[in-house]
Order: sequence, then structure tokens, then C-alpha cells
Amino acid sequence: MTLSPSQASESLKDIEATERRSAQVFSYAKSSPYFILWGVIWMAGYAASGAMSADGPTHFAGPMWSALDVVGIAGSAVIGYRQNRGQPADAEGRRTGMRYFASIGVVVLFFIAAMSVIGPIAPIRQAAFFPLVIAMFYAIMGLWRGTRFLLAGVAVTLLTLFGFFWLRDFTLFCYWMAAVGGGALVLAGLWLRKV
Amino acid sequence: MAELNTIIHQPVRLKIMSALKALPPAEMLEFVRLRKLVDATEGNLGAHIQTLEEAGYVAVEKDFADNRPRTRVRLTRDGRRAFEDYVAFLRGILEA
Repeated sequence: MTLSPSQASESLKDIEATERRSAQVFSYAKSSPYFILWGVIWMAGYAASGAMSADGPTHFAGPMWSALDVVGIAGSAVIGYRQNRGQPADAEGRRTGMRYFASIGVVVLFFIAAMSVIGPIAPIRQAAFFPLVIAMFYAIMGLWRGTRFLLAGVAVTLLTLFGFFWLRDFTLFCYWMAAVGGGALVLAGLWLRKV
Repeated sequence: MAELNTIIHQPVRLKIMSALKALPPAEMLEFVRLRKLVDATEGNLGAHIQTLEEAGYVAVEKDFADNRPRTRVRLTRDGRRAFEDYVAFLRGILEA
């Protein structure tokens, strides 16, 4: 059996299209549990921030968010372990894991640096700044790894901005972000599971 | 002179191999996801996977996840090599 050049070309195009789609779906599926985990963390953190602020300013929000971040990082480690369980341990896999946690470290350091440069700001501005930065990372990731990441970043951005400019109250904004910010991440995570 | 690998060349099997080749080595793809990726019916996909398994190109593993039966497929080392040879064959046609 022989093939013409046009048949060979069509086969190669089919291969490329299928490989691209498969890699994208694989990336989405791997990312899904992380989106759901951090969506739940946002729900808990913002809801608690809103509840704590109902009677006035509180200094407990910072330590509370730090503790939730530790939970999130630990949860991410568990997810990564379960996803790679049974896979042959190799240098590339270890590098990927290290890059993921290094990325979280970079984000944490960025926030510390940014807040130290910006200085004291109103709590609502601080509460809006963090998710906007995270959404930016998702959007940039989406430009390289798939449209769903981009759309998730855009959705979180728009929801954050809408809540910030519409509510203008820290407590209400926190409850808004718990519901729609955290909710958006959870829904994005569920969407990423679908082929 | 290289010959066309007729096992891989069949359209659905070609898509199966392509979908699996895109994953990291030893990574597995669930049957349900593979069915949507290659746009085949359950029976059709099952038959083609069996053909590829008999050729030694894919390995099938069945287990339980969340108390539900799960079937996963991965490319074998021979399958990966055969697929790369097939792609090289196609490119050879274009370059001839």
C-alpha cells in the first residue's frame, strides 16, 4: 500500500491536531484539582475575613490567610503526589514538582515585596489586589497552555473588579469574593475536567 | 524501503496513537476521555484498542477509582517507536 504526498500531508495534519488537543486536555485535567482546592481556600478565607471584619478592623486576617496558604500548599503537594503515584520517578517529574512549588514561592515573595513598596492601603484594595494578580497569572498561562485558563483568569478579573467598584465595602466585598471569586475557581476546576 | 504501517494507518487507530503519544511517557489516558478525543463509539474504540494491544503498541489497565471501574490506556515503548517510524515514513513521502 502506498500513499500520495497529499494523503501523507493529511495524515500528518490529523496527527498534529490530535496531539495538540490531547496535550491540552491532559493539561486541563492535571490542573483541575488545584483550581478546586484554591477555590475552596478563597471561599473559606474571604468568608472568614468578611465575618471577622463585621465589627471593625481586625489584625487576625493576615495570620489567617497565611495559615490557609499553608493548607493550600500542603494540599497541592498531596494532589501532586496522588497524580504522580505509580509513575516512574524521573528527573523531569521532580523538576516539574520543584518548579510548581518555586512558582508559589515567587508569588508569595512578590506579594510581600509589592505590599512593602505600596505601603499601607485600605483593606478592600488589598483584598482586591491579590486575586487580580492571581487572575493575571491564569490569563498568561492560558495564552500558552489553553483557552480555558485564559477564560478563568478573565472571569476572576472581571468579578473582582465588579465587586470592588460596585460594593465599595470591605465586608461585603469579602463575601462577594468568597461566593463568586472562590466559586469561579471551583467552577473552572470542574470545567477543566471535561474533554 | 520502509513500508506503511497499516495497523497505525487506520484513521481511528491513528488518532488513538496520536492522542497517547502527546502524553508524557508512562502516562495513561482513561477510556472515556480517549473516546471523546478520537470521536468514536465505545464499541468501535474498544475494537481498535484491542487491535493495537495485540500488536503490542498499547497497554490496557483496568482498576477501580472512587469505587467505579476504570479502564486506562497507555502507549508502550514499542508503540512509541512504531508511531515515530510511521511519522518518519509520512515525512519521507513529502520529502521525496
